[in-house]
This record gives sequence, structure tokens and C-alpha cells, in this order.
Amino acid sequence: MLLHLLNRAPSSSSVHQDVLRAMGEEDGLMLIEDGVFGAVSAQVQHFPGLDGRLFALREDLESRGLAGRCDARVIIVDMDGFVALTEEAQRTVSWF
Amino acid sequence: MRYALLVLGGPYSHQAAHSALRFAHAAIARGHRVDTVFFYHDGVYNASHFAAPPQDEPHLVDAWCDLQRTHGTTLQVCVAAALRRGLLDAREAERHGKSGVSLEPPFELTGLGQLLDIGQTHERLITFAP
Repeated sequence: MLLHLLNRAPSSSSVHQDVLRAMGEEDGLMLIEDGVFGAVSAQVQHFPGLDGRLFALREDLESRGLAGRCDARVIIVDMDGFVALTEEAQRTVSWF
Repeated sequence: MRYALLVLGGPYSHQAAHSALRFAHAAIARGHRVDTVFFYHDGVYNASHFAAPPQDEPHLVDAWCDLQRTHGTTLQVCVAAALRRGLLDAREAERHGKSGVSLEPPFELTGLGQLLDIGQTHERLITFAP
């Protein structure tokens, strides 16, 4: 299982499409930095079929004023949880 | 676990360096070792000895040095990326006839081959990009 890191908003970059094409069925996707814009309800449709495997970093949501606007399908993790996800994954792949 | 971080983003222009530092401290707090940080592309600016940000802002260069001092993290800088951007240690400054030294220990200039070695010797390698 791989953990993919995405730091681009779906509205500003199409790299999320490359991520989705590359992801295996067990892989997780972690939204960080501007990637967390993809976690709000109006944007989360860009990440279909990732229930239980789509994560967003809490501090990046909060720093952008999005903490209360995250879609229920997204699992919010803090930095400790981010590290835990990298422990579970065999490798981490960064997309930018 | 043995972690290594690859930082590709320059300080104060992208969030990469800040994210990497936050991750490093969180990993250490969970009982891991962050043995190496490798700076490449514009990430080499994290090693600039002359960085002098306003006092009420995070000093990222000092924060990396603190990480090395407190936790023994090795701070490696790609020499080719650094020389292109004017980051020279004493030896390189002399070799290129430059006055002033813009890269000081604990940062160390190293080759890109070292990054391949890091990938094989550390259990996790996490990339923070601009």
C-alpha cells in the first residue's frame, strides 16, 4: 500500500487526475498544503471512490479557514496522524 | 523507524520547508529517528547562512540547525544545485575564487548519489515539494 501526497488544489492544477490514475486499490491519498482545498464539499467530487482512503491535514485546513467546511467523506488527521499513515504505507509518493 | 526527508522547496516562497519541519518534529515525537534531510532544487536555499528573516517570523534556517543539534539529523545539500544558486561552503568558495561563505556547518554539501543511498538506507523517505 502506498500513500500519495498531494499539495495542489484541484482548481489550480490537474495533477490530481494523474494521482487518481496512478493509485492502487488499497492506496491512500493525503491532501496537504493547498491540496486541502480538494477536501471541501464543493471540490471533493474530484476524488471519487476513495471512501476511507482520503485524508486531509488538519493544520493546513485550519490555516486556510476550511476546518469547518471539510466534506464528511474526508478523514481529517493531525501531523501525528500524518506520520502514522507514512508508517503504515510501504512508500510515500509526492505529487506536485 | 529511520526517516529521511527530501526538501525541494525554498524557504518563505513555498510551504514545503515548513511542512517538512513540522513533519520532522511530529515523527520524532512518535519515537522515530529523522536521520537525514536532503535539500535539492530550490530547497538548497534552506541552507543559506545569510538568511536574516524578520525577528517575529520563523527562522527556518535556524530551525534546521536546531533539529541537527537536538536530534542529530544530518543536513545534506546537493552540491550541484547549491553552487548554481550561490551557496558555497569555505572549500567551494576558495575553489571558485569567491569571497564570503554562504553555507556553513551543520549543512554539508554532498552529491546527488547520496540521495540514492538515503533511499536505500532509510525506511521511509518523504518528499516535500513546492
